[in-house]
Amino acid sequence: MNMTNSNIKQEYSQPYYVPVKNEKQVFKAAYKQGLSILLKGPTGCGKTRFVEAMANELGRPLITVSCHDDLTTADLVGRFLLKDGATEWVDGPLTRAVREGAICYLDEIVEARKDTTVVLHPLSDYRRQLPLERLGITLNAAPGFCLVVSYNPGYQSVLKDLKDSTRQRMVAIEFDYPAPDVEEKIVAHEAGIKLEQSKRLVQLAQAIRRLETGGLREVASTRVLIAAGQLVAEGLTLAEAAAAAIAGPLTDDAQVSNGLLKMIDVYIGS
Amino acid sequence: MSKVTDANQPPSIAGFGMLASALAGREIRVDVAAADMSAWTDGNVIFISSPASVRDQLAQICVQCALLAAGSLDRETLKQLTRRPKWVERYLAVEGLRALKQLQDLLPGFMGPIIEEETAKTPASQSPQSSLDIAKSQQAIGKPPQSFGSIQVEALLAAQVREGGAVSSGQHIPRKQQEKPLTELKDDADQDEEGGEDFTSPVGGGGGIRKLLQKMFQMVRRLKDGGSPGADAPTHWSRSGSRARARAVHSSARPETVEDAFGKGDGILYPEWNIHQHGYRLDWCSVLEIDPPADAKAAVGWLEGYGLRKPLSRLGMGLDRFHRQNQGDDIDIDAVIETQVERAAGSFPDESVYVESRRHRRDLSVLILLDISGSVAQASLTGASVHQQQRSVAAELLTVLFEVGDRTALYAFHSQGRSAVHMSPVKRFEETLDGRVMNRLYSLQPGAYSRLGAAIRHGSTVLMEQGGTSRKLLVVLSDGLAYDHGYEPVYAAADVRQALGEARRDGMGCVCLSIGADTETGTLRRVFGTAAHATIPDPKRLGTTIGPLFRAALQAAESKRRVA
Repeated sequence: MNMTNSNIKQEYSQPYYVPVKNEKQVFKAAYKQGLSILLKGPTGCGKTRFVEAMANELGRPLITVSCHDDLTTADLVGRFLLKDGATEWVDGPLTRAVREGAICYLDEIVEARKDTTVVLHPLSDYRRQLPLERLGITLNAAPGFCLVVSYNPGYQSVLKDLKDSTRQRMVAIEFDYPAPDVEEKIVAHEAGIKLEQSKRLVQLAQAIRRLETGGLREVASTRVLIAAGQLVAEGLTLAEAAAAAIAGPLTDDAQVSNGLLKMIDVYIGS
Repeated sequence: MSKVTDANQPPSIAGFGMLASALAGREIRVDVAAADMSAWTDGNVIFISSPASVRDQLAQICVQCALLAAGSLDRETLKQLTRRPKWVERYLAVEGLRALKQLQDLLPGFMGPIIEEETAKTPASQSPQSSLDIAKSQQAIGKPPQSFGSIQVEALLAAQVREGGAVSSGQHIPRKQQEKPLTELKDDADQDEEGGEDFTSPVGGGGGIRKLLQKMFQMVRRLKDGGSPGADAPTHWSRSGSRARARAVHSSARPETVEDAFGKGDGILYPEWNIHQHGYRLDWCSVLEIDPPADAKAAVGWLEGYGLRKPLSRLGMGLDRFHRQNQGDDIDIDAVIETQVERAAGSFPDESVYVESRRHRRDLSVLILLDISGSVAQASLTGASVHQQQRSVAAELLTVLFEVGDRTALYAFHSQGRSAVHMSPVKRFEETLDGRVMNRLYSLQPGAYSRLGAAIRHGSTVLMEQGGTSRKLLVVLSDGLAYDHGYEPVYAAADVRQALGEARRDGMGCVCLSIGADTETGTLRRVFGTAAHATIPDPKRLGTTIGPLFRAALQAAESKRRVA
C-alpha cells in the first residue's frame, strides 16, 4: 500500500536544535491555542529538525508525511481495503494523528495535489474536524493534535503555490539559514568535527549563497554542510568532502561545477 | 541575469567567474587584462593581470569584487574622480581597505595579512564618501599594494552609460546625456560601441539612395558583434528594405560550409512546393546541419521564464481515473464483483480491484525552430532587435519545457539559396540543457535569408524520428519574412503553408510565433495561416498567449492523428 511515506517517531533522543529567533515561543503559543502552523524556508535549513525538536519538547508523537505529486486524499485520510472478501477501513496517517492527538507534519505541502490540501481546511481552522466521507463520519481532533506544514517558497513557487484559503488558516514561521556563528556550531555538533573545520565549510557556503543564479537552482544548505562535515569526520580532507557533498549535489553542469570546485579550492583547498 | 561563461579561457582563470560573482554579489566575469595593465573592472568583467601568480590574481579578484560589493564604484562617487589620477589612487587605497574589511567574513584566509598590513598604514573610513574626502585631503596615504590593481573611472562610467539604456550603437542619445561621454576623451570602450555608426552613409539615411550608393561601392560592412570578417559581403539586399534603423547583416556563413554546400550529394534533400505548377519539386532543397559556434564571451540569459511555467506545465496534465489497479483511492466495485464471481467459480481471481486517480505523465516533445536570417537582426520598435527577443523567448521556452520534463530540441536556421539551407542544432533531443547549450544559443549571429519551408520540413523530420513521444509540437520562431534566392513571397508563403500542412498531417502540432517583428498581419496570415500563430509585440506578454496557443495546436494535431 501507498503508506510507506509515513512513519511514527515516538521515541527521540532529544534532537539537537539551536533556536535562531523566537520560533520556539511562536510554535508553543500556536500549539497551545490549537492553531495550525506553516513553516517557510529554503531546503535544508532545519524545518524538519525544528518540528522534531518541538514534538519532543511538547511530549507528543510526531507523524511525518512527505508530500508528493500523487498524494491523494485517500493517502492522508485512509481507504477501504479488501480482506477475505470483506472491506476493511484502514486509517491514513492524518486520521491516525487526529485520533491520537499527535503532531502531524506534512513536509513540502505544495507538492501535494490541490484537491488533497482542501481536506485540511476544516481541520486547520477553529472546527478542528476531519470529515471522513467514505465512512460518513466526522472526527473531532483529539486534544494535543496539531497540524504543521512546511513549504519552500523559492522552490517551484510559481509552478505550484499554496492556495490562499489554505495559507490563511495557518500561523507562519519563517526560517532562513542560521547566522554564520550559529551554523558553525550546528555543523560542528551534528557532524562531529572541529569548530575550525566547520568554520571553513560555513564560509564557503556563505559565498555560494551570494550567487544569485549563476546556473544554480539551490544554494548550499545547512544539510549539505553537515553531510560534508560527516565525510570529514570519516577521515576525508575538507576539500574532498566539500566537492562530494556540496559541489556535486548542487549541479550537473560542467561549467558551474568547475566554478564551484574552484571556489572550494580557494576557500578550503590550501 | 547572465551566466558565468569562461570555457575558452586559460585554465588558470577558468572558473574564477563564479568566485567573483559570489564575492561581488552579482554576475561578474573574469578575464585577463592587457599585458602592461594592473587589475581593473568595468563593472561587468574583472580583468586580472596575467603575469601575476594565482595567489595574487585571487587577491586582485577579491579587491575588485569588494569594491563592487561595497558600492565603492557608484556613479556619483566616480564622477568626482574623473581626470584626477592622483585622487583615484588615494581613493583606491582608502576605499579598497574599507571594502575589504566590509567583506572580510567572506574573503579567503590569505586576504587576512593583506588587510592587516594595509590597516597599519592607511586611515580608516566609514563610507565611500568619507574615503573620497580623505583622498581629496592632504593626509598622507601609502601607495596601495599591487594587488589592489586600479580603478578605471572612464571605463566604469562608460559601462554604466551603456547599461543605463543607450545599449545599441544606433540608438539616439538625447543631448543632455550626450554631454557625459563627450567630456571624457579617454572613453575607448564607448567609441568602440559607436564605431558602427561611421558606416552609415550620410546620403538618404535608410532610403533608396543609400541603397543604390552602397550597391555601387560594394561596401563591405563590418559585423556589429564580431564574426568572420569578409563573410558578410553583400550579395543581395533584404526585400524589406530598412525598417527602423536597418542594418541588415548578411551571411555569416563560414567559407568551408559554403564549399560543402556546393559539393555534390551533401546535405539532406527535401522537396519544395511549387505553387505555380501545383506540384512538388523533388529533392529541391538540401539542408545541412552545422554545429553552431560557441562564443565564450557571449552573455547568456539563464533561468528566465517564470511566467511561462504555469501555462506550459499544465499542458496535457489532467487527472484521470484508472480502473482495475493494484492500489488506489477507492474500491472498483465492478472488479470486486468479478473477482468474487471468479472465486466462487473456482478460478484464480485478479486482485487488481482499486480505482486510482492519476495524472497523465508528460508525453510531449517540442522542437523549436529559430529564424536567424538577416531580417531578424533589424531593430524593432522597442529597441532590442527581433533576434534578441526571439532568442530570449527561445531560451525561456527551452528552459521551462525542459524543466517540466518534456523532450526539447532547438534548431536555428538560415539559408543561402536552395542548396545551402543551414540548420544549427543548438540543442538536440538527447542533449541536456546546460551552460553549453545556452552559450551556443547566445552565440548565434543572424545573417543571410530564410527558406522557411525547407527548415520546417527538416525540423518535422527530426521531430518525427527523434521526438520519441506520441504528442509532438513544432514551434517556429520567425518574423514571417520567408525569402531566399528563387523563393519569392507568394511562392514562399505557399511552400511554408504546405510544409506546415505536411507536419500536421504527420500528427505534429505547429505553432508559429512572431515576436516583436513589425511584419504586416496579412503577410503573417499568408505564411502561417493554417497553423496556430500569434504576433507578440513584447516577449513579456508571452505567458498569457502561449497556453491556449499550444493547446490549440496539440488538439489540432490530435484530431489529425486519430483520423490517420
